[in-house]
Amino acid sequence: MLVDIEIDAREQTPSWIAYGTPLFAIAAALAVSVVALVAIGVNPIAAYVEMFLRPFGTVATISNVLVRATPLILVGLGVYLPMKAGLWNIGAEGQLLAGAIVGTWIAINVTLPQLLVIPVILLGSAIAGGLWAFIPAWLRAKWGISEIITTLLFTFIAADIQLYLVRGPMQGGSGGFPQTELLPAAAEFPAIPGTRAHVGLLVALLIVVLVYVSMNRTRFGFRVNFVGSNADAAEQAGMSRYRVYLLTLVAGGALAGLAGISEIAGNQSRLHASFAPGYGYTAVPIALLGRNGVFRMLLAALFFALLFVGGNRVTVAMEVPSAIIDIVQALVILFLITAEFFQRYRLSVSIGRRDDGRSIRGSEVTTDD
Amino acid sequence: MTDASFLIGLADATVSASTVLILAGLGELISERAGILNLGVEGMILVGALSGVVATVMTGSYWIGFAVGSICGLLTATIHAFLCISLKADQAISGIMLTLLGTGVTTYFGQQWASAQFTGFPDRTLPVIGGLLVEIPLLGPTVFEGPATDFIALGLVVAVWWLLTRTNLGLEMISVGEDPETADTMGIDVFRMRYLAVLIGGLLAGAAGAHLSLAFNGIWTNNIAAGQGWIAVALVIFARWRPGRLLVGAYLFALFNSLRLRSQSLDLALGPESPLAGLLNPVIEFLLNPAIMSMYPYIVTLVVLVATIVLRRDDDSAQPAALVQAYSREAD
Repeated sequence: MLVDIEIDAREQTPSWIAYGTPLFAIAAALAVSVVALVAIGVNPIAAYVEMFLRPFGTVATISNVLVRATPLILVGLGVYLPMKAGLWNIGAEGQLLAGAIVGTWIAINVTLPQLLVIPVILLGSAIAGGLWAFIPAWLRAKWGISEIITTLLFTFIAADIQLYLVRGPMQGGSGGFPQTELLPAAAEFPAIPGTRAHVGLLVALLIVVLVYVSMNRTRFGFRVNFVGSNADAAEQAGMSRYRVYLLTLVAGGALAGLAGISEIAGNQSRLHASFAPGYGYTAVPIALLGRNGVFRMLLAALFFALLFVGGNRVTVAMEVPSAIIDIVQALVILFLITAEFFQRYRLSVSIGRRDDGRSIRGSEVTTDD
Repeated sequence: MTDASFLIGLADATVSASTVLILAGLGELISERAGILNLGVEGMILVGALSGVVATVMTGSYWIGFAVGSICGLLTATIHAFLCISLKADQAISGIMLTLLGTGVTTYFGQQWASAQFTGFPDRTLPVIGGLLVEIPLLGPTVFEGPATDFIALGLVVAVWWLLTRTNLGLEMISVGEDPETADTMGIDVFRMRYLAVLIGGLLAGAAGAHLSLAFNGIWTNNIAAGQGWIAVALVIFARWRPGRLLVGAYLFALFNSLRLRSQSLDLALGPESPLAGLLNPVIEFLLNPAIMSMYPYIVTLVVLVATIVLRRDDDSAQPAALVQAYSREAD
């Protein structure tokens, strides 16, 4: 008997597949993660209720999600923007650390008029993040050196610098812990009244709108999209790939830097050894989920914020290792790229002989029985 | 501590530390030669390291642990092979996913194994000629005495070189990485050959991980690979996709890794009588700070990577021509 699997390239992706893909990826990732929960003897239904429904219980718990979402939106944009130009900013974590370090340093050491404190801190963090991305960006633009490897190496270096600083020159507070002293009150981002969410969220939302406008309404955005979809054709059309690579990656770094300081000045109040639970890596599935538009990326960031809040809840309540978050986010990527195959190709399986010669033959499996 | 014994210790540590880079680097080299970039090396190392420890604790045999670790690395690579070869997914993002998945899964299940006690690979010498070789001053105890996995890695450098340059299988593998259309016309099964290369890559990355936990560290800790998988990826570029150069590169990177662990015993500060002591000693102290030293391997990787690419000759075509390109029959 012949099982014939035929793969046809689609001319157009049906809209239900395009819209359903992110939802499918999340659902499939959560379904497979059940295995990890069952393996350690945790009731998966109870765990998912705790993770995804309980955080909506009160205004306070909802605002926890918004607090988590703030750095994730910013660092998600930091991966999204270069991704639009065809670059993978896998080392956003390092740019986030650079922004956090410099922003914290300014907050603690620089005396400024009250009105200028927060703007200067934001500016300093953005510049630090941008600078941290600059060398990988230049190496990619000028020499074609993989930005994936270089941004990651810069992340490892940033992590070592951070550890050095919080144990050495920037160490502060009582008890000799690896952390800085608390930020002065003037540097703390004010809370949005009635919630724990802070103005960083407003800044993040503002930047989402700015990115939307610049990507969809300006010549710069047009260039980025063109280079991202076909760099060679863009080059032939007279666009500078060099400038687009440099600008998007450095801007991405600046946004990641803002994510770093917003987590410190808005939430944790001081820089310490492990303040960033891998937001920079979470930014990758966020950007991928939202690759078709910045507002979808915003939704993806909110989902992962919920995952972080819910993940912490099951860690405390059910002793589920917090790495469940890492597993879910890796699986989301896995199912996204699996689903993309079905966006591009139509699969038809027919049992028995069928040979119309029109389609691309994928593979033939012959069974003996 | 005398300078001579410091150098011997450093050389010894360098050779030991290079094994994980050699194994993982060879695996990545084979995969890339067939046209598939696998950025999941870090994840596969972690899976190999944890599964190796679990199997060793359960069976009491570090050889079984090493085999299980290698096979689990291979199984992890199967995901990448399926996504990139069959589903033609973006190789970069699939590999990154594999690293995130490997890190997540091993951290999730690894907690309970962090304090597990087991007997790992003992240091030994080669059979028959080993006793003589160890007598060679400096080189002897450095190169010819170590865990069995060290010797396996060195043997594999030769084996991979032989495979890629002297066997039909190797030449076919290279041909699907250079020009899959032509290879297909010549009757080579491109898909099968690429699968084989990616799976061998996973096997070797798993072996690298099992070596790391069973022979080098003798214990499982979360994130035991600590970025070495990424260094292995960079190493393949530095090596211009050649096993011999990979060995040289692995020693270079391992040297900087060992320098950090060994330098605590070293006092490089200038004496108070030196006129530059006031100026230079703080600098030396800063450069020898363990936190600062731990970034040296990454800095060296960066510098060497950049130098390799910037200084390449224009006619150089070491990189497999079809690297990162998915293959479809009858191009669409």
